Amino acid sequence: MQELLTNPVIQSSAAPFLVGLVVACILFPIRLAGLAAGAGFLAAVWMIGAFGLTPLTATRKLVVLAAAAPVLGVLADLAFKPTRVTAPVLGVLFGAGAIWVFWSVLSQKPAAEGALLGAGIAALVLWTVAFTVSLHDRAVRAGAAGLFLGLGAGTGAVLGASALLGQYGLALGAACGAFLLLAMILGKRIVAGATFTLTASVAATLIAAGALVLAKLPWISLAALALVPLAVRLPLPEKLPAWIQAIIASLYALVPAAGACALAWQSSRAA
Amino acid sequence: MKKALLAGALLAACPLAAIAQVETYKVDPIHSFPHFGIDHFGVSTIWGRFDKMTGGFTIDRAAKKGAVELTIETASVTTGDTDKGTRARSRDEHLRQADFFNTAEFPRMTYKSTSVKFNGDAPSEIEGQLTLLGVTKPVTIKVDRWTCKDHPMSKKPMCGGNASGSFKRTDFGMKFGVPAIGDEVKLMINFEAYKE
Repeated sequence: MQELLTNPVIQSSAAPFLVGLVVACILFPIRLAGLAAGAGFLAAVWMIGAFGLTPLTATRKLVVLAAAAPVLGVLADLAFKPTRVTAPVLGVLFGAGAIWVFWSVLSQKPAAEGALLGAGIAALVLWTVAFTVSLHDRAVRAGAAGLFLGLGAGTGAVLGASALLGQYGLALGAACGAFLLLAMILGKRIVAGATFTLTASVAATLIAAGALVLAKLPWISLAALALVPLAVRLPLPEKLPAWIQAIIASLYALVPAAGACALAWQSSRAA
Repeated sequence: MKKALLAGALLAACPLAAIAQVETYKVDPIHSFPHFGIDHFGVSTIWGRFDKMTGGFTIDRAAKKGAVELTIETASVTTGDTDKGTRARSRDEHLRQADFFNTAEFPRMTYKSTSVKFNGDAPSEIEGQLTLLGVTKPVTIKVDRWTCKDHPMSKKPMCGGNASGSFKRTDFGMKFGVPAIGDEVKLMINFEAYKE
């Protein structure tokens, strides 16, 4: 059993998927199925043995911020109900949080380079969070976006030379996949909310940004990945069953995510 | 009057004589390298080294005291695999990323002694604190070889030798690949230093 739990493939796929599925199944009646993303992701972090606050490295701060996302998401869903301003406000908040996450690296770079990198990461987080959170009332599209944001960030991180961040990303994708699977079955009865969309977008973007800052993922890959929440907005045949819509939305999301990975692959092969 | 002045001068010189026994040496970076060895799949030991190490030590042979301070540039790590060829990355490149030395966030590791044991006139064991990946833990280094002499060409006084030790990398949060890639890191440092 111990061998199974320490297997990186189990840690970053089967385990977060199962945890996400169980959490989504239990909590969907109280409109909190979106906690699947955070639960699956944090289960993987726990299994990898990367929980801890000292020293508070960029990777650990990333986990802290990703863990804060579902808490704020639940708060936004239950206490405030997401409005049109919720998405950009959360985007700005977590964009600033991203600078805190990578400050230990940014502060060691020449001022102009550090400022440019920090501003770029903050803008990327703002963009992705804002466009993903605005999908809060469209579970199928949100699920597809979460699935491919996670898988894209994870695969990109592996190609960018960070296995740990790769595991995190793939685990997030697996947990979001569990949510999407339930959305395929339940259709409009399941709610993504800010709980799901905020967690998926914050965790995925920070993982991808981490692979940029701490490893060798190219900028262009991150830019391509940021198109995922836009791609799932393409028209869906609303009259068709949810599972078909989910497949089509997933195909939409697959294109920029696969593009991001292809760019990372190309960059890793370059001289 | 002359005798009193002479006695005063001798007394004043005493503390200077004591200070003069503490010698300060600066590490010669082109003849000093920390090497490390890691078990690979339980089959062999892969050796690597850091190309950039700076620092120095002080030694007081009479009082049998000493101190060491070393700084190692983590990005200077090399294991001989620098050319990635058709692969996505070389091993040395991977060692610099977040899975191992995380050089973007932690560009330096340091070693600072807390006590030095002597065997006769020569230091034999150094207890100190290694700071790696933001974590500081005690690491003991054994001085296996120690020689002091004048440089054969420049005639500058120098000391050098070999030192060894070990630590567990997981103690410093470097968990990637354990146990396939060993947890225990063997250290072997060759050093030469010139008297300041």
